Amino acid sequence: MKSNHINNSLGIFPKSWSEKHAGRIPGNIPIWVGILSELTEFGIFFAAYFIAKFYYPDVFAQGPQSLHTSLGVTNTIVLLSSSYFMAKAMSFIRLDNLIKCERYLWLAFACGCLYLMIKTWEFHWNDLQGFGPTTSEFFTVYYYMTFNHFLHVGWASCAILWVIFRLRSGAYSAKENSGLEALAVYWHMIDLMWILIFPLLYVLR
Amino acid sequence: MKYLGKLEYYLLALIAITLFNTFLGEQFASTALVNVLIAFTVIYKGFVVIDNFMELKAANKNLRFLMRLYFIIFPLMIIISAFY
Repeated sequence: MKSNHINNSLGIFPKSWSEKHAGRIPGNIPIWVGILSELTEFGIFFAAYFIAKFYYPDVFAQGPQSLHTSLGVTNTIVLLSSSYFMAKAMSFIRLDNLIKCERYLWLAFACGCLYLMIKTWEFHWNDLQGFGPTTSEFFTVYYYMTFNHFLHVGWASCAILWVIFRLRSGAYSAKENSGLEALAVYWHMIDLMWILIFPLLYVLR
Repeated sequence: MKYLGKLEYYLLALIAITLFNTFLGEQFASTALVNVLIAFTVIYKGFVVIDNFMELKAANKNLRFLMRLYFIIFPLMIIISAFY
């Protein structure tokens, strides 16, 4: 296999890391390089959150009470649903059911757009209450994390449109769907990050 | 009634846990117990998405290990932060 050949020729990865020994890589290797980079980036944000909370416990206890919790909960449900729709799209492409696959991709895209609209409204609502990135240490961390996540949802939603275009042009089938699967795992990664962000910013006091 | 598959049950469970977490945060003062409960629900939610939506359960074991490790380290930080 090509990837094994590259691994062997480089000689930097243990044999046990090869797909043959460790199992299939969903999507492709480049998307996993991207995903692991994003996880590192968000990991730094989470570390910053815990360090800031250590130094400013009172600010971080008050902060979540200033946020619009209902909007945070709604966005969590929207993103979880989008992950479900993405998983359904993958299951239908494996059955060569392109129509249902496309339908679920549109639903995932709609969830992405809904998330962006709700988040925009939340930022506006915060602004109306007088909260901004410089209000307190909590809000600085809040805007860093949520705006960064907002950007990720934005460009991944655009990627869904691209994948729908490719699906319509016949690029994906039950046999070849690595591009679609790469987007699916990336989308799930974005959902996973929100699963961590939500309790940190909206629930924990 | 339409048949509910595994993915549908997981989605309903994830939504229910999200609502439960919010209820805990809204109704109870932040105690170590609340933090521990929330941390464990976050681990569960992460594992469900990694194994069933991302489909890493039957895929590359190293990637699955890394993803699951991420969802152990940061929820553990939630527990540790309860004792600041």
